Amino acid sequence: MAYEFEKRRAFGALYRITHWVFAASCLLLTITGYYIYEPWFTTMLEKGTADFTVANMRFLHFLAGYFFTGAVICRFYLWFFGNRQERITDALPVTKRNLGNFWGAILNYLYIRFHTPRLGHNALAGTTYLLTFLISMVMIVSGFYMLFPESATWQVWGTNLFASQATSRFVHFILMYYYIFFAMVHIYIAVWNDVMFGEGLVSAIISGSKFLHVKRPKAD
Amino acid sequence: MNGHDDTREFADMRLTRRSFIKGCTMAAAALGLADSMIPQLVAAATAPRRPPVVWLHFQECTGCSESLLRASHPDLGRLILDLISLDYHETVMAAAGHQAEEVLHDTINKHDGKFICVVEGAIPTKDGGIYCKIGGRTAMDILAEVAPRSAAVVAIGSCAAFGGIQAARPNPTGAVGVRDLVHGKPILNIPGCPPNPVAFLGTVLHYLTFSRLPATDNLGRPLFAYGRKIHDHCERRAHFDEGRFAEQFGGEGHRQSYCLYKVGCKGPATYSNCPAVRFNDVNQWPVSAGHGCIGCTEPAFWDTMTPFYERLPEIKLPVGQGTVTTAESVGRKIMGVTAAAIGLHAAAGVTRRLLKGTAKTDEIREEE
Ligand code: HEM
Ligand code: SF4
Repeated sequence: MAYEFEKRRAFGALYRITHWVFAASCLLLTITGYYIYEPWFTTMLEKGTADFTVANMRFLHFLAGYFFTGAVICRFYLWFFGNRQERITDALPVTKRNLGNFWGAILNYLYIRFHTPRLGHNALAGTTYLLTFLISMVMIVSGFYMLFPESATWQVWGTNLFASQATSRFVHFILMYYYIFFAMVHIYIAVWNDVMFGEGLVSAIISGSKFLHVKRPKAD
Repeated sequence: MNGHDDTREFADMRLTRRSFIKGCTMAAAALGLADSMIPQLVAAATAPRRPPVVWLHFQECTGCSESLLRASHPDLGRLILDLISLDYHETVMAAAGHQAEEVLHDTINKHDGKFICVVEGAIPTKDGGIYCKIGGRTAMDILAEVAPRSAAVVAIGSCAAFGGIQAARPNPTGAVGVRDLVHGKPILNIPGCPPNPVAFLGTVLHYLTFSRLPATDNLGRPLFAYGRKIHDHCERRAHFDEGRFAEQFGGEGHRQSYCLYKVGCKGPATYSNCPAVRFNDVNQWPVSAGHGCIGCTEPAFWDTMTPFYERLPEIKLPVGQGTVTTAESVGRKIMGVTAAAIGLHAAAGVTRRLLKGTAKTDEIREEE
């Protein structure tokens, strides 16, 4: 069966901006967060340094934290008010259509049976994004609880969720590995899809358009 | 508290063994020695040979002696008096007049080259040094006679070390510190207005234990007490880095115990161990009481650290306004942009719906 490709608009501008803010802030948060955990640079120098290396790293972390939070808020909004591909119901295995797609995606990635890419996310990806969103909420609450330890509001959230600053720091640190894991899988899968199906998945998150497979009767 | 009479304890000039060990331990801690060194300090301190000390008072307020001997912890003062043989000290000696002069001469002659000369106060040099005279002789004269015959000179307080307030511009009496007049003798500076008694005690104990003066910086200050900037071990430092300041005395930030940099703290330019050793055994020092450091251990601090209540120029704050403060203000803008982006998205959606009806134009059914 021969396929033809049709260019279709998949993702809106806000969605794409959100994605890249998310990507950049995660990268920065992981690098600076790891440095906060293991500030090797200043202590490697024999006499220390008069530069504010740790302070600068923390500042970048906090700044990136705000960008990250902004992106998460936008993503949440788009789940309900975005276009069809951006909405939460389009990609969660809660409808009959998506339950099938969820299973199909697993078979697809196991090279058992390839499925035809759809315009939005497949249900497996959608589920991962929900998990990422929930983990991001934990990162935000623990992060702001540590950023404003004296604020009554964050204390209510922080103590209820983590009981103490120490636990919130621990959870915040451990969950960093989720983002490292996520980034590796996410980038691999996106490129894999592009290679396997030629739908332009990677460019779609920049341009907003995908190339869908459409069955067309051969013109004679 | 336990039926124990404090007045008697203060009145009793004998030093108990317990207080003695306590004092030695405090000095060992200040010197940064391991506790395994304490027996050595104790042995040195109990040796029968006590170094004779001649204590000269020049242009000063006697505050250094006062704070040393009247340390609220009576043991410290007693320990110091026990460690040294204070042969000549105008404030505390019983002798007066000619008798006192005699004591001075006797000590110098008897312990030639072996006694320690402690100087408290600046030495005026203008007009032949006539602005400070004792027994008809100028301070310059007395110092010129005593210092060369001592083993070492300890300049206690900022006046003796660097001239102090007397040397503040325009320095009408031409006051200078010991280091400007005495050459060829080891000089140890213990500046401060007044200095912490522990710095003096530590110096004496170091001398007794190791038979040499402690290592110093290039201003002659012992490194164990003046080796680090106040700012680098201040308890309010986190507030400095994160950008939380007392903007004015009595204001909100001041009540929150934030950093005192903006109300004039000179900690970033001052070397001393005040934040670690503190004063008067009540664990206080100016910054913990809400007053900025005035830089009293630094040379010419009256000229270089004033105005005391204005911020020290050219001290860099991390990322401009401090990490958390800057992040918070930029963060508010980021949240604003987020709200604007969502607003724009919503407005675009509503407008499109008004123009094109309810048909969702951007949704094209995919074929599965
Ligand atoms: C992808 C998201 C994030 C990652 C991977 C991440 C990673 C880290 C790591 C590894 C640490 C060091 C923890 C430790 O000491 O062991 C840290 C600390 C911290 N993070 Fe995050 N973080 C993220 C999001 C956020 C957010 C959204 C905020 C909120 C502004 C935030 C605020 C903080 C704060 C305040 C600290 C403590 C800094 C300190 O006390 O010096 N983080 N982060
Ligand atoms: S400026 Fe003064 S109060 Fe602030 S951290 Fe430095 S020494 Fe402490």
